[in-house]
Amino acid sequence: MTNSFWRYSHLLLAGTSALFLIIASVTGVILACEPIADQSQSYKVVDLENVSTATAIIALQKEYDEVLSLQVTSNDEVITSVITEDGISEEIYVNPTNGRRLGKVKERHPLFIWTTNLHRSLFLKSLGRIFVGIISLLLCFIAVTGLLVLIQRQGGLLKLYSKVKERDFNQRYHVILGRWLLIPLIIIACTGVYLSLEKFDLIPVHQAELDWSKEPVLPVHYQGLSKIAFFKELKLNEVRQITFPFSEDELDYYEFNLKTRDLLVHQYSGEIISDIEQPFSLLLSRWSFNLHTGTGSILWSLILLVASASILFFIFSGLMLFIKRRRLSDKITTVSDKDESEIIILVGSESGQTYAFARHITQELIQQGKSVFVSSLNKYTSYKKATHLLVLTATYGDGDAPTNARHFLSLLSTIHQPHPIQFAVLGFGSMDYKHYCRFAIKVDTSLQDHHSFAPLIPLEKINEQSEKQLNAWLEKWYAAIGAHHKSYQSKKKDITFAEFKVIERTALNLDQTFLLKLRHDHNQTCQSGDIIHIKAPKTDKPRAYSIARIEDDIVLSIKKHDHGICSSYLSDLQLGDTVHAYIEENAHFHLPLNPESIIFISNGTGIAPFLGMIPNLIDNGQQFQFFWGGGRFKESVELYQPYLPITVGAQSSSVHLTYSRAPQQKYVQHEIWDQRKLIAARLHNGCHIMICGSMAMKDDVIDLLEKISIQENHTALTYYESRGQIHIDCY
Amino acid sequence: MKRIFQILPVFILGSFLLFSFINPIEKASYKCMIQLKNYTGEGAYIVISLLNPEEEYVETLYVQGKDSEWYSEIAQWWKFYGKRRPDIDAISGATISGGERVINLIQIPKDKIDQGYFIRFETAVEDQEYYVKDLQFELTSENLKGKKEGSGFIRYVRLLPQ
Repeated sequence: MTNSFWRYSHLLLAGTSALFLIIASVTGVILACEPIADQSQSYKVVDLENVSTATAIIALQKEYDEVLSLQVTSNDEVITSVITEDGISEEIYVNPTNGRRLGKVKERHPLFIWTTNLHRSLFLKSLGRIFVGIISLLLCFIAVTGLLVLIQRQGGLLKLYSKVKERDFNQRYHVILGRWLLIPLIIIACTGVYLSLEKFDLIPVHQAELDWSKEPVLPVHYQGLSKIAFFKELKLNEVRQITFPFSEDELDYYEFNLKTRDLLVHQYSGEIISDIEQPFSLLLSRWSFNLHTGTGSILWSLILLVASASILFFIFSGLMLFIKRRRLSDKITTVSDKDESEIIILVGSESGQTYAFARHITQELIQQGKSVFVSSLNKYTSYKKATHLLVLTATYGDGDAPTNARHFLSLLSTIHQPHPIQFAVLGFGSMDYKHYCRFAIKVDTSLQDHHSFAPLIPLEKINEQSEKQLNAWLEKWYAAIGAHHKSYQSKKKDITFAEFKVIERTALNLDQTFLLKLRHDHNQTCQSGDIIHIKAPKTDKPRAYSIARIEDDIVLSIKKHDHGICSSYLSDLQLGDTVHAYIEENAHFHLPLNPESIIFISNGTGIAPFLGMIPNLIDNGQQFQFFWGGGRFKESVELYQPYLPITVGAQSSSVHLTYSRAPQQKYVQHEIWDQRKLIAARLHNGCHIMICGSMAMKDDVIDLLEKISIQENHTALTYYESRGQIHIDCY
Repeated sequence: MKRIFQILPVFILGSFLLFSFINPIEKASYKCMIQLKNYTGEGAYIVISLLNPEEEYVETLYVQGKDSEWYSEIAQWWKFYGKRRPDIDAISGATISGGERVINLIQIPKDKIDQGYFIRFETAVEDQEYYVKDLQFELTSENLKGKKEGSGFIRYVRLLPQ
């Protein structure tokens, strides 16, 4: 909730101010060039800390008829306003040691004047300034909310500068540039706000005034400025401006504006007549001005230039992200509040298809004015306004719950529902399995036994995602809840089989397992973790295997079952043979981008995807732990040795191999338990766990991880699941 | 003799014309210091103008404030200046803020001194008051030496012949 709150604030603020920010940033870029241009033709000729004010004043008065003022710029140039012998008043750059004229002070280039006006007031005078001030303030908020979103995304303040996980170009650079330019942007925005506040008199100023009416006390023995200690000791680098006495009258004083003080000084005795400290607000204002405009520092001007320009990129990439998210949310109608919804849909499945299906129903119902809340079975809780519950669930293995539904049955008995709810259960599965939809049946009976729930329509089991069955049942259910149903069609892509050539097949090892290396003629975009569906001749249905991608080839690990048609067929293949297959993307089991570290857990042929992933990690110098419950024998691992160039113990990575027969007689579960401290610590630090192998192993491992997580980290495993740290691909 | 009387007016007129061509209106330089009151807010726009005895604008002597965007705020002067907007770059400088002072050189045509002409200091500050006659006094040799108190943003003005 907080996550989306900051994101929405960020979006809303940026959306409302985008147009003005574009103007401000474009003009900002132009204006940032001014100090850079100014400094490239500097009139700085001497080090000002070596020039006393006495030297400068004497030199100027000798050179010119009359001197009105002297000013030191932030680039250490000396500008003076003088009256020449011809009686003309001029502003010129001078060499302070000899008073020589270096050049005339040029007017600002009209382009910069025009741009400044646009930048600070949009040509709307005071009204425009108020606008720009508010936009600056919004920019502050945008930067701060952006920072908060970023902290959440990166998983804490300390990880702000850790690796960026986002892959999408816009998103990635929105984050990367954002975290580096945040500081200059906040400075630009804050100083902009300060300057605006000052313009509108909203900063309290207690300005003490120099007292011109005070009369000198000290006696005067004038022998020239060079004899007066004050003028001798005060160097030009401490001066901002000197206003010369108006006349030769003793009561006309020098006015010195130094870095932090203002002084009135007697022109013949050097006596300090009046001395005030500049108020803090004035110093702050000067700092704001310099920081905002880049005056006096080429480096800072360049940073300002880049930061200004980056705003344009942020607006562009932010807009792209917004559009993308909009397009997604049109599909995923993530819904509202669990306590505000009438219809609750709980999903027990990790397949994208079931979720896609749930979203389809949700969207359809929302269009008909229903309020719908979608979640996973594990997140079952009380629902204040719910009248209907729809459960969509698959079944794993021997009638087990899918990972995101494991806790449902225990939750069901403990949570109290404020109102009676009518339920319906839809089970997904395949009749090929012995325990077809058994978990769905369990859920259905448990709900029937529960006093808060009443059945609406009977359970239906959907075989192989049959759309005919689905639509028929949905029509019934929609009618029962008083809604209309349009026929559902999954967006499954048309499958096109292709020919893959066998380039290597190993002999069977002691575990009846062998490796198969396939090559496709066309460039493949597949990754390790994807799934290949291979159709053996004279069969209807393809079999699925996880793949490793090694260079341009695909490697599978296959165990030959005596009665397995496909595995037998594959074990007989010869070099040069072709197989009929297609590759399905399995995005949730791809190697996470830039993970902290990864723990791989597998048994048997589940090792396959990791054969492709581990070399990747080694190349990138990333940490990993690899657990493999091999086969029965110590020799089982030899099959995979060519693909696992592992030197155990390198860079705190480790490999744990177990085998079930003597002498070791160990299962992968034991090894995991032995390493529980390490695993718990890694999990806590955001490590990803990837599990691939048999269903039985998966259940054990998940239970074990749950235990470890609670015992060591006092955190339920669901916490890490919800953060996407657990990836499972079991069969 | 009669002839002389006939020629004399022509001669006088002629020489007068000749004189005025050879010797264009001579100007006197004055150092002018403006000290502002200690108000808060933006820098003040100050326009120094020469007015004829009927208090009509004759000439702009100095403009404190470079940002022409705001010139129209100095309404009375703008009616005079805004029509033709001659170049005043040479007689303009940056604004000064409350409590500050500035010293400039202004050029006053000598023939207007002691002739019933006036000098006017007009001031305006962004989003604050506009004083048409912050300070106005007759252009006499005596007045051009002294210190005059302002009634708006100007505390006082001091003039000193160069």
